[in-house]
Amino acid sequence: METPVTTAPAVSRSINIAGRAASLPPGRTLIDIEALDFFYGQKQALFDINLKLEEKRVTAFIGPSGCGKSTLLRCLNRMNDLIDGARIQRGSIKVRDTDIHDRSVDPIELRKRVGMVFQKSNPFPKSIYENVTYGLRIQGIRNKTRLDEAVEKSLRGAALWDEVKDRLHESGLSLSGGQQQRLCIARAIAVDPEILLMDEPCSALDPIATAKIEELINELKTKYTIIIVTHSMQQAARCSDKTAFFYLGRLIEYDETRKIFMNPSNPQTEAYVSGRFG
Amino acid sequence: MSTSTETETRPAFAITKARTRFFGLSFDECIQTFFGGSALVAVLVLGLIVVFLFREGAQFFSQNRQNLEVYRRAGLEYVDYIRQQESAHTALTRYLADVRLRALTHFTQTEQLPLGDANARLADFDAYADRFADAALSLRGVANDLGDVATSIKTKFSVSQDRLVQRTQLLAAGRKDEADAVPIETINFSQELQPIIMTFPAYRIVRDAFADELNAIVATVPEMPTAGLRERMESFQRLTREYVATFPETERLMQTWDHRKPVSFAESFSAFLFGRQWLTASFWQDWYGILPLLTGSLMVSGVALTIAVPLGVGAAIYINQLARSGEQKLIKPAIEFISAIPSVVLGFFGIAILGTLLREVSQVGWLRWLPGFPIAERLNVLTAGCLLALISIPTIFTLAEDALNNVPRAFKEGSYALGASRVQTMLRIIVPAALSGIVSAVLLGFGRVIGETMVVLLCAGNRIAIPDFTQGLGVFTQPVHTMTGIIAQEMGEVVRGSIHYRALFVVGMVLFFLSLVINYVAQRIVRRRLAVG
Repeated sequence: METPVTTAPAVSRSINIAGRAASLPPGRTLIDIEALDFFYGQKQALFDINLKLEEKRVTAFIGPSGCGKSTLLRCLNRMNDLIDGARIQRGSIKVRDTDIHDRSVDPIELRKRVGMVFQKSNPFPKSIYENVTYGLRIQGIRNKTRLDEAVEKSLRGAALWDEVKDRLHESGLSLSGGQQQRLCIARAIAVDPEILLMDEPCSALDPIATAKIEELINELKTKYTIIIVTHSMQQAARCSDKTAFFYLGRLIEYDETRKIFMNPSNPQTEAYVSGRFG
Repeated sequence: MSTSTETETRPAFAITKARTRFFGLSFDECIQTFFGGSALVAVLVLGLIVVFLFREGAQFFSQNRQNLEVYRRAGLEYVDYIRQQESAHTALTRYLADVRLRALTHFTQTEQLPLGDANARLADFDAYADRFADAALSLRGVANDLGDVATSIKTKFSVSQDRLVQRTQLLAAGRKDEADAVPIETINFSQELQPIIMTFPAYRIVRDAFADELNAIVATVPEMPTAGLRERMESFQRLTREYVATFPETERLMQTWDHRKPVSFAESFSAFLFGRQWLTASFWQDWYGILPLLTGSLMVSGVALTIAVPLGVGAAIYINQLARSGEQKLIKPAIEFISAIPSVVLGFFGIAILGTLLREVSQVGWLRWLPGFPIAERLNVLTAGCLLALISIPTIFTLAEDALNNVPRAFKEGSYALGASRVQTMLRIIVPAALSGIVSAVLLGFGRVIGETMVVLLCAGNRIAIPDFTQGLGVFTQPVHTMTGIIAQEMGEVVRGSIHYRALFVVGMVLFFLSLVINYVAQRIVRRRLAVG
């Protein structure tokens, strides 16, 4: 069920920003995180997170290192399942009202719907073509024309097609850092997910490559719901619609990006975005 | 920080070396020298081994050349033409014996005849076979007579060589009178060989009669009970005719044979490298051909790797990708512990248990269809190969596991994030990414196996001959000897400096180079992987 969010408030328990004017028409809630407590073994990493993420919007997670923003991101496609001792103690994450941690949910199916791009570009040691088609091949698609089409579409989608169309069969590792990262984005969108998770996708890139990726994010948001973890405040300001600020495992503030940066409600948020700590 | 207040008693800018020194070296330099020295010793030892091997082995080829030269000068080579002709005939008589056995089995088992009757039914065949065998009697006589003459020439020559050595030793000791008293007989080979060469016309008469007799014999064949046996007799006829057809070629070789023809180094070299016989302390002629040993080593290693690669790599994949941490803690040390078993203990196990077990299993009726079963010899390629597999599994397992471990975690996560299952990630991403490491693990396992000595010495059966490859896969149930085994077995018995001694060193050199090449290739593969990853 898709419940339209009337106003931005209530999504954050720590701060009430009800009544403030939103610069963007509110989107429909796609992901609903409720009262989430997350542990790595004995260590609690997330405390009582409540967050509603909107469809076809870019949401940025910001906060100092170790604040839990990547952990929350990795909860959304259950990548934390791979880590021994990682568990959700309380609360739930619902995508379109389906609890993704339910017993009946297959994490493999979930990950096909929720793509992910990592901090460090990680193309497989295969050709560019094989990298892009990997997600389709593991789903059993062998039709050559279909794969060819998907490769072109995804590479165009990731703004990489013109640069690599003549060398699709060279190793993905032969590309530059920025190209590798865009290849990873192409790989992720090739399986046609609904949600794209990006874990600091530009932290290892130079400013020009970063600009290209940001431009790409702006284009991609027409088709995908994007959640991006970033250390760069400018990046969050430039390319996200909404921003969530985390500190020490707690969600401090979640609002329109413009508001977070121009007029934050919480003094901690204000201190962070103005560069006084973090 | 605190110096800002002490401007009055300004301390010196102390940056000169002022450390304790031993023999003019600082402590750091001592440590560096120690480690550098250790590395140097390792390299020096390797160098020394190479030099030593070469020094001892290099003279083999000149000695082997002399060995082959005597073979030619004394006429042994000439007589061998006739002997080979004769032994080819013996092979044909063996073929007939095989046919007889099959016919007998047919009569006793298929037709259920008592043994006496069965033999009676074969009377015709026996007469035929006897006639065929007897045809070569006069040829054998010629070969034996000439052989005696040739060996006596060879003995004469070696006696004179010994005396020459004796005289040199006496002269060196300053006992000139005694040295002069040693009678030295120079051998005139041309003259000595006359009796042999002169018998050529006689040989030709004998051989022509022999050929006529053979042709007469194979014009007909005895009646055979089954189509299969009739076919065998037909091919016997064909083989015999082919055999008779080689006579002119032999004759040409004998006519053009010249005892003065020099033996080149290349001949000595190829006699070693492509020689099909390793025959030592023979009354006739010693041969040092590495092929039987090389084949043995490669076959045993082949069996070992066939078993060890799937097991070792499979276990590595399981431990690295699928096992729970409890299993990891149990299995990993267990596999690594195998390498702690002394190979002589494994060899003992092979003789006492595995060999017998394999043979008994091979005698089980419903396993008869397997090639080579039932196994005739308790100790054979298969027994040794199974044990060597056990020896190489830890090497392959450990290195393959390392290779899998070195695959960046990011590949795994990337694959999972695209919705791949654990098995898909493993087979499509992790194993391919670790493939070069796995290949080099296998190569190093091969190096480990081909250099292993004790197990093969104890369990491979030690028959110095190229096994009979016409048996197909059954060849792996035959005994062989190996390069490592022969060195261990014969090195203790040879005279230092003799040709046999040197030959063993050359075998060692071959082994050394083989291992060197394997290791080099394995390292190259690993380096390429690092460059890519």
